[in-house]
Amino acid sequence: MKELEKTKRISIAAVLFILAVIIGLLTYKRPKNTYAINTKSTLEKLTSENYLVALNELNNPDYVLIDIRNQYDFDKGHLENAINVYAAEILSEDNIKVFEELKENNKTAVLYGNNPQEPNAPFLILYQLGYENIKLLAIENSYLQNKLITKNSEIEKSETDVTAFINESIKKANTAPIVKVVVAPPKKVITVEKKKKAPAEGGC
Amino acid sequence: MGPLIPNGVIPYEWDNIIAILIGIAFGFVLEASGFSSSRKLSGVFYGYDFAVLKVFFTAALVAVIGVYYMDYLGFLDVNQLYVHPTYLWGAIIGGIIMGVGFVAGGFCPGTSLCAVAIGKIDAIVYVGGIMIGIFIFSELYPLFQPIYEGYFYGNVTLEDSLGINPYWFVFIFSIIAIVAFVISDMVQKRVKKIFY
Amino acid sequence: MVKKKIAKVLAFRYKILAAILILLAGGLVLLPKYQKHEGIKPEELLSNSISPERYMTTDRLAHIIINQDPSFILIDVRDEKSFASYTLPNAINIPLEKLFDEGSDNYLNQNQYDVVLFSNDNFYADQAWILCNRLGYKHMRVLKGGINEWFTTIINPLKPADNMPATDFELYATRKAASMFFGVVYPEQVKVEAPKIVKKVAPKKVITIEKKKKAPAEGGC
Repeated sequence: MKELEKTKRISIAAVLFILAVIIGLLTYKRPKNTYAINTKSTLEKLTSENYLVALNELNNPDYVLIDIRNQYDFDKGHLENAINVYAAEILSEDNIKVFEELKENNKTAVLYGNNPQEPNAPFLILYQLGYENIKLLAIENSYLQNKLITKNSEIEKSETDVTAFINESIKKANTAPIVKVVVAPPKKVITVEKKKKAPAEGGC
Repeated sequence: MGPLIPNGVIPYEWDNIIAILIGIAFGFVLEASGFSSSRKLSGVFYGYDFAVLKVFFTAALVAVIGVYYMDYLGFLDVNQLYVHPTYLWGAIIGGIIMGVGFVAGGFCPGTSLCAVAIGKIDAIVYVGGIMIGIFIFSELYPLFQPIYEGYFYGNVTLEDSLGINPYWFVFIFSIIAIVAFVISDMVQKRVKKIFY
Repeated sequence: MVKKKIAKVLAFRYKILAAILILLAGGLVLLPKYQKHEGIKPEELLSNSISPERYMTTDRLAHIIINQDPSFILIDVRDEKSFASYTLPNAINIPLEKLFDEGSDNYLNQNQYDVVLFSNDNFYADQAWILCNRLGYKHMRVLKGGINEWFTTIINPLKPADNMPATDFELYATRKAASMFFGVVYPEQVKVEAPKIVKKVAPKKVITIEKKKKAPAEGGC
């Protein structure tokens, strides 16, 4: 009889185990959006592919303009034929459908905002989700008397040579070459320890 | 979500307390399945009791199936789990020594402590032997160091080294386990019963 | 008799248990596979990257550098050439394309320091930030406006017009002082200070990044 009790325990444990798995499977929701490419290949593509579009290239019939600013800005003025998809809602079902359709029709979505930085995040996220038909319009929008003015803007342009400016200021300040006031900020030596895996002891 | 401690669900400081709780539960299960008897343990080598094989195989199976289901359902990230590093020859030589000790003494280190807890004299002697072994190893460590730290293969898993799909591996593993259970049952019936 | 019955029941139960195990294991093989996420969910990433929380103003950064706050690491994600021509003091160069190269990980994925990413404007720095955020790296910031903003606000601050509020003048004074710290010399400053120019040599600081503690796991039997 003792043996019988033991088996009951086993049965209970087995039933619980199965129940846990079944409940897990039933309550499991598949994530709606999943990344198609990992960060490493994203980075590779980002640095090798040209994803920027300038204003004069816009007459390509495959390009569909997407305005990622909010409704208010969009109503105030937007580029011709642009669709408004607000950046924060870019992953909602309806909006994802828009991008999917564009992908199916072999069109390229061109995102733009008030400056090139604004569509950067939505662009990069959609890019990682596998929508490779996506580009970024490098423009700057501003309003002049309620009229939208759009001009090209170059990203990551070094506007001024800071070192030259500093040297210039030093030259201007002291014509006599007595001193160099280049306050060279202290160089920090940053040493990084290689990560070591802590050796663990297993005993059996 | 999981593993819980590396992802900060449970603070890092709790790990010792959790270790103690798991240890108590583990000891209880060992004792409850009769593993503090050296005769039962060495039975697996002589063929009259395969409880050890069954318990450990089942534990491994349940754990591996559970882990992969949790991974599939998103409760646990298998890639974040700790993988014990492989020091090939150290593991082989250590395994042989431990196997000999297991057959000769009838305990493995964990169960010997379990048996000490219930007051078995042979287990106390066995643990004394473990201590002497540890002492010798520590004293002669410079001698053993090249083997102990050499032949390092990193934190490899079967999945890495064989390139096998883990899901298939689990499936094959469970079939092997069940076949092993059946065979061990058949062997057990043939071998003369020993009462202990 | 009873024993035999029990043995029968037992055998049956074990068969069922074995069947369950095989079924569950087989289920794993048959389950539809989907691409595993690397990093946090896209929705989470979107809300993180849209919030302006990550931005740090140039004024705040100047304050941090001047006070030699040891808890910050500056990372320049521009290419080596721009890095060589000008960079912020004590910055480390990790060009964007080398973001995930070996070694960079030690700077980016740690809990010891706050990391400030910067580039010429904040376009590349943002991209680096988003990729790192997806991987769950913490304590990352982006310098708002990058080097260009740094130049117009700190290095070469615009003198406010006479009719501007007093706060603007205060801000200008602070920024001007900061620009002096970063090497810009003003004509009126030299007249006063020229005789006694001290070469500032700040003590060398060594930052060591500790490896993350991985909980060593104990295996038992």
